[in-house]
Amino acid sequence: MKRTYDAIVVGAGPAGSSAALTMARSGLNVALLERGSFPGEKNMFGGVLHRMTALEEVFPDFWNQAPLERHVVQKNLSFITEGSCFNVSFDSEEADRPPYNGYTIFRPRFDHWLAGEAVKAGATLLTRSTVDDVIIENGKVAGVTLLRDEAQLRAPVVIAADGVLSFTAKKAGLRSAEFSPSNQGVCIKALIDMTKEVIDDRFGLVLNQGASKEIVGCTSGVRGGSFLYTNYDSLSLGMVLELASLNEKGKTPYDLLNAFMQQPQMAKLLKGGRLLEYSAHLVPKGGYDMKPELVGDGIMVAGDAAAFCIVTGLNLEGINLAAQSGVLAGKAAIEAHRQRDFSKSSLTVYRKMLEESFVLKDLKLYKRAPQMLHNDRIYSQYPELVCSMMDEIYRIDGKPKDTMTRMLLSKVKKTVGLKNLMADVYSGWRAL
Amino acid sequence: MNINLDEIFDYTSFNVDRDPHIILDENLCKVCDQRYCVNACPARCYAWSEEEQKMTFVHDGCLECGTCYVVCEKKAFTRWRYPRGGFGVSYRMT
Repeated sequence: MKRTYDAIVVGAGPAGSSAALTMARSGLNVALLERGSFPGEKNMFGGVLHRMTALEEVFPDFWNQAPLERHVVQKNLSFITEGSCFNVSFDSEEADRPPYNGYTIFRPRFDHWLAGEAVKAGATLLTRSTVDDVIIENGKVAGVTLLRDEAQLRAPVVIAADGVLSFTAKKAGLRSAEFSPSNQGVCIKALIDMTKEVIDDRFGLVLNQGASKEIVGCTSGVRGGSFLYTNYDSLSLGMVLELASLNEKGKTPYDLLNAFMQQPQMAKLLKGGRLLEYSAHLVPKGGYDMKPELVGDGIMVAGDAAAFCIVTGLNLEGINLAAQSGVLAGKAAIEAHRQRDFSKSSLTVYRKMLEESFVLKDLKLYKRAPQMLHNDRIYSQYPELVCSMMDEIYRIDGKPKDTMTRMLLSKVKKTVGLKNLMADVYSGWRAL
Repeated sequence: MNINLDEIFDYTSFNVDRDPHIILDENLCKVCDQRYCVNACPARCYAWSEEEQKMTFVHDGCLECGTCYVVCEKKAFTRWRYPRGGFGVSYRMT
């Protein structure tokens, strides 16, 4: 099989489908390649779908069209130890009105829908199409070959949106051959069956309101965090664990997840639930410094493939960056067709647009976050410190009390040490 | 609530390909002194037998997450690619 298109997009995830949608709407003949039997089949995430301004231009009432679970009104940050939990909660009326600030979704449904919109706009979706290699002619990317039918697909421009490991970017020479385990986290997730009524009662929600909870602690000292999100009638619960730290500690992801689910305060939230699905994927968490070359002759890289992911501990952004970068790559390809120039220097407009948008601005802003989070104290000593402080504040047991400052100082001295605390506060303040 | 990977096929669907998408060079695994893959793989696809001095990889329940690709110290893959189109893990919701 040999076919020629105006553009080829590798990967029908949020980045790829956004790129294909953008290009198809302007009349380009686009092939959108997906290795699954449908878009979304291979996709999972440990996150909330943040507001996607890039797509709101195409779908002004996005929230009425996309298959969403709940919109998130309640944000929680928890520090947990083996037996206690300190929770900070923010619940806002503002987040209960459109345009909503974030949603819980199922990726196999959401990604399927978005790719379907690209098809409606005129893109050709080729499923069951795993890319085998990149065709390079005269030093320029000229298409891809598939792992079936000896298929050769040609186009003057290829957009690599094939996810975190992006073999397309690698074969085009845009990313380094090796990844550092400290730049990658593995996200594992359990989808848990629970009725809507129980979820509403347990989390204090009504109608389609949702809650999200980011949790620090109870990872046996492994650098990483956990999350709990409410879907319409199920919960998404999981962890993101840094690979280098997992290796150092010799822990398995599923043992950590099991211990986390059995932690008493978590167990109460999950009580009566039943496991529906188990999934896992890598998260490129290295931030600004780990991104590959974004542009080459005849090729651009978008989404996770470009390591567009922001992990700060408070927010986990990925799909919004993917959609935005996909739209911008699509616009750059349209411009390249207008100019009939697909060279690296012509496609560099993509990089410029990224630099002017929140994608590279925010990645640059949080450049120091990965380094700040590469601190073992955050994952064991601080949750212990916070919870033992709260325990002492609330404990009335007939013993004379100390002032809060003295209480804190003595605890800090015994655990993290005053110097470390000050250094960590400074590094946190600089990073965020 | 507990995840038991012996029952992974009850929770997560797969269209298993006969042709594995990951092939190991077992000689490299033999001389590896870390074998991070054994613990790090979230689907427990890797098993090291001390007795036989042999690494076994079973691709049937692979979640295609990429962890082994990144943690392997020996780059012991004679093949590491995603399954042929339509094969491999098939998420329904997640």
